Amino acid sequence: MIKLRLALATAALSLSMAGVAVADSVTFGVQAPITGQYANEGQGIEKAVKLIAKQLNEAGGLLGKDVKVVSCDDEGKATQAALCGRDLANQEVFAVIGSYTSGATAASQPVLDRANILQTSDGTAEQLTQKGYKLFFRNAPPNSAEAEFTGEYLVNAKEYKRIAIIKDHSSFAKGLGEATAAAVEKQGGNIVFDGFITAGSQDYRSILTKIKSENPDIIYFSGYYSDGGLIRSQQASLNIDADFVGGDANQNVKFAEIAGGAAEGSVIINVPAPANLPYPEAKQFLQDYQDAYGESPPSIFTLTNTDGMRAIVKAVQETESFDPEKVAAYLHELRDFPGFTGPLGFDENGERLGSAFQAFEVQADGTYKTVYPQQ
Amino acid sequence: MDIFLQQLINGLTVGSIYALIALGYTMVYGILRLINFAHGDLAILGAFIGLTVITGLAGSGGAPANWIVIVAFVLAVLVVAIAGVLLEFTAYRPLRNAHRLSAVVSALGASMFIQNGIMLIWSPQTLTFPEGIMPQTTYNFGSVVISATQIFIVTVSLLLMLALYLYVNKTRFGTAIRAAAIDQDAARLMGINVNKVITSVFILGPALGAIGGLFIGVYYRQAVFDMGWIYGLNAFIAAIIGGIGNIPGAMIGGLLLGLFSSLASGYISSTWQQAIVFGLLILILMVRPTGILGERVADKV
Repeated sequence: MIKLRLALATAALSLSMAGVAVADSVTFGVQAPITGQYANEGQGIEKAVKLIAKQLNEAGGLLGKDVKVVSCDDEGKATQAALCGRDLANQEVFAVIGSYTSGATAASQPVLDRANILQTSDGTAEQLTQKGYKLFFRNAPPNSAEAEFTGEYLVNAKEYKRIAIIKDHSSFAKGLGEATAAAVEKQGGNIVFDGFITAGSQDYRSILTKIKSENPDIIYFSGYYSDGGLIRSQQASLNIDADFVGGDANQNVKFAEIAGGAAEGSVIINVPAPANLPYPEAKQFLQDYQDAYGESPPSIFTLTNTDGMRAIVKAVQETESFDPEKVAAYLHELRDFPGFTGPLGFDENGERLGSAFQAFEVQADGTYKTVYPQQ
Repeated sequence: MDIFLQQLINGLTVGSIYALIALGYTMVYGILRLINFAHGDLAILGAFIGLTVITGLAGSGGAPANWIVIVAFVLAVLVVAIAGVLLEFTAYRPLRNAHRLSAVVSALGASMFIQNGIMLIWSPQTLTFPEGIMPQTTYNFGSVVISATQIFIVTVSLLLMLALYLYVNKTRFGTAIRAAAIDQDAARLMGINVNKVITSVFILGPALGAIGGLFIGVYYRQAVFDMGWIYGLNAFIAAIIGGIGNIPGAMIGGLLLGLFSSLASGYISSTWQQAIVFGLLILILMVRPTGILGERVADKV
């Protein structure tokens, strides 16, 4: 009888332990454009998050829990992004990394917030951190900071006299373009053209011909690399003798590939490129990424998102808690965390603190050279 | 004036590509009264086949030799023509006697099938064509710039359209095509093999579309799996503007659409370009419901 009881007790114990083992994992969600126009960026974010999870698991997990990753492809579209938010919430993820575009991020924010899930995104549109979502953290500097720097660079550093500005209709590019125009005017610059393209329409010769008649000495484009590369190459084919400066979303290996021979000499404004990151942790991670996937991350946003995830991991370890509110409270106080993309912290709205912009010139071999501020 | 001329050249280049693709819509509609929604995707398939041939034969470094480019065009045309015939055989022929709407649904399904097939084979990413496929020479007239690529695209398109026009209007088989377009039953009574005519239309249309698609590839040096939809839509509009079912109409419609888009975004607003183009479509259809060269009123679907 005693034997039987013992056997039953053992069985019950092993059952309950099995139960613990199942619950003993924490899931991070990736919401990113894994297919579609920005597939390159989305896949980079997914790969980096999986790599961080693998590294955490090899070091014994997060607070002893196995780290799992589930992904949802939002195709860079708002409609799909809202579905992704719901899908990830149903899978009871602890935190969501992404999305890449501001539009897709804005669409999933309310869904994730309602489900009490932490979210970190590189989306740089101002309004993302102005909606009062307490669990949202922006891991890249906002448009306004970049616009200030761009205005300073165009008007004071390069002393351009006739500035043409092109935007697209995405919430990110429109916001950045408008903020940049405002910053240029504040510095006393002269804008001779300010207009929109339709992203993905491939033919920008008409608008460029119109710009040509305004005789600009610089064309600034606030949108994404796939259009930026085409604008630069079509500008060259129309013999428009003006410099090209692109916003941060042009900083992608595909920019030079699409622009071809015209890429050389174009300038891109962003936080330092992955390969130029001076921090030893960043160099190590880039090496690990290279070893795991046989390629470099597509852009700096892979790393800002990685930094967002690492900050959340750090907060979990410090607070020894998976309570989203406690983690968020810690992150709002975080200062000078050694991120791959520079010292990192968040203000009370979840806005990224720290990191400096630079202007890079694309070289003939496709690498970047920092041209401003001079080092 | 220079600006205007430059916009004309920009518009003419895009317009001749639209015209090449529009021919496929109009020929199929002429014979079968069917809008082949998969046609834009077939055209883009041509761009991807061409890209694979060029990168496969030339490697990644340096400008590809001329013979490689010619092989790329020939293979793109062959493969897409075969795909066109297969499409007709699998997606449209079984529905030949079914309700018209069933065939439209089948066409939309075929479009998605081809688009997703391209995505699975060539990846969802934006692929880039190597530089130097076309001569990089540009010619300056005052401040107007014309590139050799633009001259090549416009010339080849016009020659192909002329050849098609002569083929349909001056040859025996062309007469059979026109006869089948007017009345299939009567054509059959006259001893015309209507099935053969339909197959020939599904060879000619996609073949011209493939050249149009590869032109898009070499002109913009970019190929994305889902761009067939927007080019297909524009070419379809071009076919309607010219009078769907009418071959010279598709040519004129394509050129007009290209010119008009270019002038609209150059002189009015690039934000409103699509709205202006659709406005033009509505205006033309109000004045001439059958399109510019359309002769007969199309059957109501």
